[in-house]
Amino acid sequence: MTQSVNTESLSLEELSDAYERANRFHRVTEHLAGALTPQQVLDVILTEGLRAAEARAGAIGLVTDDGKAIELLAQSGYRGDVFEKYGRFSVDADLPMSHVARTGEPLFLESRAERNKLFPTLEGQGEDGHAIAVLPLALEGRLLGVIALSFGENMSFSEERRRMKVTLARQAAQALERARLYAAEQTARQRLAFMAEASELLSSSLDYEQTLKQVAQLAVPRLADWCAIDMVMPNGEIQRLAVAHEDPEKVRWAYELQERYPPDPDDPHGVAQVIRSGQPEFFPDLPEELLEELIGDDDELRRIVDELGLRASICVPLSARGRTLGALTLIAAEKHPVFDQADFELAVELARRAGIAVDNSRLFQEAEKGANAARALAYVADGVVLLDRAGFVRHWNPAVALIMGVDEEEALGLRVEAVVPAWDSLSSHVPLVRPGEAIGRPVTVPMVAQGRELWVSASGVDFGEGTVYALRDVTDERALEKTRSDFVATASHELRTPLAAIYGAVRTLRREDLELSAEDNATFLEIMEAESLRLAQIVDQILVAGQIDADAVDFDLETCDPVELAEGVLESAALHLPDGISLHIDKKGTRPIICDANKLRQVLVNLVDNAIKYSPEGGDVEIRLDAHNGECLIQIADEGLGIPSSERERIFEKFYRLDPHQTRGVGGTGLGLYICRELVERMNGRLEVESEPGKGSRFTVRLPAGV
Amino acid sequence: MLVIDDERSIRMLCRINLAASGMEVLEAEDGTNGIELARKERPDLILLDVMMPGIDGWEVARRLARDEETSDIPIVFLTARVGLEDRQLGEQVGGVGYVVKPFDPVEIGRVIESVLTRLERGEREQLRREMTHGPEERT
Repeated sequence: MTQSVNTESLSLEELSDAYERANRFHRVTEHLAGALTPQQVLDVILTEGLRAAEARAGAIGLVTDDGKAIELLAQSGYRGDVFEKYGRFSVDADLPMSHVARTGEPLFLESRAERNKLFPTLEGQGEDGHAIAVLPLALEGRLLGVIALSFGENMSFSEERRRMKVTLARQAAQALERARLYAAEQTARQRLAFMAEASELLSSSLDYEQTLKQVAQLAVPRLADWCAIDMVMPNGEIQRLAVAHEDPEKVRWAYELQERYPPDPDDPHGVAQVIRSGQPEFFPDLPEELLEELIGDDDELRRIVDELGLRASICVPLSARGRTLGALTLIAAEKHPVFDQADFELAVELARRAGIAVDNSRLFQEAEKGANAARALAYVADGVVLLDRAGFVRHWNPAVALIMGVDEEEALGLRVEAVVPAWDSLSSHVPLVRPGEAIGRPVTVPMVAQGRELWVSASGVDFGEGTVYALRDVTDERALEKTRSDFVATASHELRTPLAAIYGAVRTLRREDLELSAEDNATFLEIMEAESLRLAQIVDQILVAGQIDADAVDFDLETCDPVELAEGVLESAALHLPDGISLHIDKKGTRPIICDANKLRQVLVNLVDNAIKYSPEGGDVEIRLDAHNGECLIQIADEGLGIPSSERERIFEKFYRLDPHQTRGVGGTGLGLYICRELVERMNGRLEVESEPGKGSRFTVRLPAGV
Repeated sequence: MLVIDDERSIRMLCRINLAASGMEVLEAEDGTNGIELARKERPDLILLDVMMPGIDGWEVARRLARDEETSDIPIVFLTARVGLEDRQLGEQVGGVGYVVKPFDPVEIGRVIESVLTRLERGEREQLRREMTHGPEERT
């Protein structure tokens, strides 16, 4: 600070006062340097500044942006009603502050009389004051405002005092400007930070409803007292997505209010208007008339609006790609200062980003929906065919490609009859329903595709622009069904044969007109006994097969002697051996085996029975026992019909019979070999077959050898 | 009479009960022997099983029908096969009767006599039609 004081003409006391003033002045400068906000600057000027200037009271007014008025910002030492009287006044007014604002020059009035002379209108006012000094707050020729200082007595302003006050005013102006810039920078920084945070939120998730709610929450109280987001629903209705206010109680109240006064899409102002026009609406000061128009005669609403204390509002459209998706509303009410142009621009930018986020999210959802539908069609087990009105294939999913044996690329865009010539044999049986109608049972029809005969279960829907068919290949199910009904027929036949012998024998024995020889009598009894056992065996087989299917067979694994078992089986076979068959056993290598003896006996009985049954011309049936590599082999060989190579594995399938049409006439349930293989495998063994048609077959049971 | 059936018990039932009705009974345990016996002995009627090792009953009937020596011998099927398609096949291959197992051997003599009487009356076609009509021949 350079301050030149003319010490030559001053007394020691005066010198000491000047020194004291310089000190006070120095303190003001220090305090101003430490004041960051405009309020702090004002405080320093009106405390330390007044003290340094030896003033009783002071007031600071700023020139409004338009330069036409002075707005009083702060005062100290004046009467309480000064704001009411001089809160805002014109620069053209006949007042000392206006005068300084007009001239830009400091004004020193050393007494009330001097004041009244210059400003006659003030006569009779402020009579408790005496001298006043009014100084411009100017910076590089730009007038910011005016500071007025009032003194408790008439003053003679020495040059040094004047200079000091001018300097004080200049420093105040600098500090004020710096604080304003700082505040503006703070605000800008906050806006930037807000925008960054909001942008991050918007891009954080594709759930735009959630992110918009968070953005609204983020906006209060930083950006406004209230923030609301409304969206346009597909049906055109406007739905409030979010309302945010610092106080959750007020948010609840706002929703209640929304219920009571639902938005009218034809409202001339506000959300509806902004959504309709796509143009933002900005009320830096909500005009009284607008509120009056909104309230009308509704006293309740008047009370609510008064309570809200609406001061300013910004409503901007959320839009993307030329479509308005909703609106963002900011309201300044009880706390937030009224909005300025920068607030409005921020709101516009926020709404623009939100609109893009909503649009992206919707586009993604659409795309995902489409992708999911495509995925469903690609992986669904049913064939799906879409035909347009003219019968051209528009969709042909992988399942239908598999069923029909025609790839998608070969089918798309062609007439369906060109893709599947037998299509008509299918579609003519499928009743088409309209969308939403009950489809009923799909129709099962036989057809030929790519030379393959198949059964297809189908349903169809005619949706106006075309027809969609759902197809399923049920050939295997049909085959299984056929096999089952064949099995029932076979089982019935198998049961009827022994029954015929038993029933016939009983009927004959009871004949009173017939005297049977003792030998015939005995034979009939034998027949009844043997056929009853056979009947029981067939029933057993059916049961065992059922148990195997249900996995309900228990095995009692133990070490047993295969020779003993094999001999036992051959002995019982010998009891009813057809002519021309001879039974042998070859025990060249034997070892104990680990198995369930009863189950293995069942297997061997079945294999020996088969060997005999399939040797209609007679021949040898031999059981050979052998062992090597920790395995015990039991082979049953015959010299009978043999098995064609194509059938060699199928004979082990359930219900499969070597000759399904039974033209060779050999009966069976189709269960014997199925049961044999299942039992052997469950005893940790294997059952295999070798055969030469016309020369015989050899079945080999391999089981783990015991110690 | 000739009974062709691989089941010894069925042959025996037929032999004993038909003998009681005063009929002489020949037996064959399979199709090949049955055809040979039919050619040689020219029985008045053949009771024929369907499911037999070697050639089955349907084939036996076809061969008998093709052979001038045996084509006029009436065939009555004696079988455990009960499906309609089996009855139709029986009619197709030339049968005049269809007896389903289990059957009453005591009545089998009367069934044969009835078939022979009606054949003499020229009711062959009627008999054949009745084959597919279900179980009324069941004794």
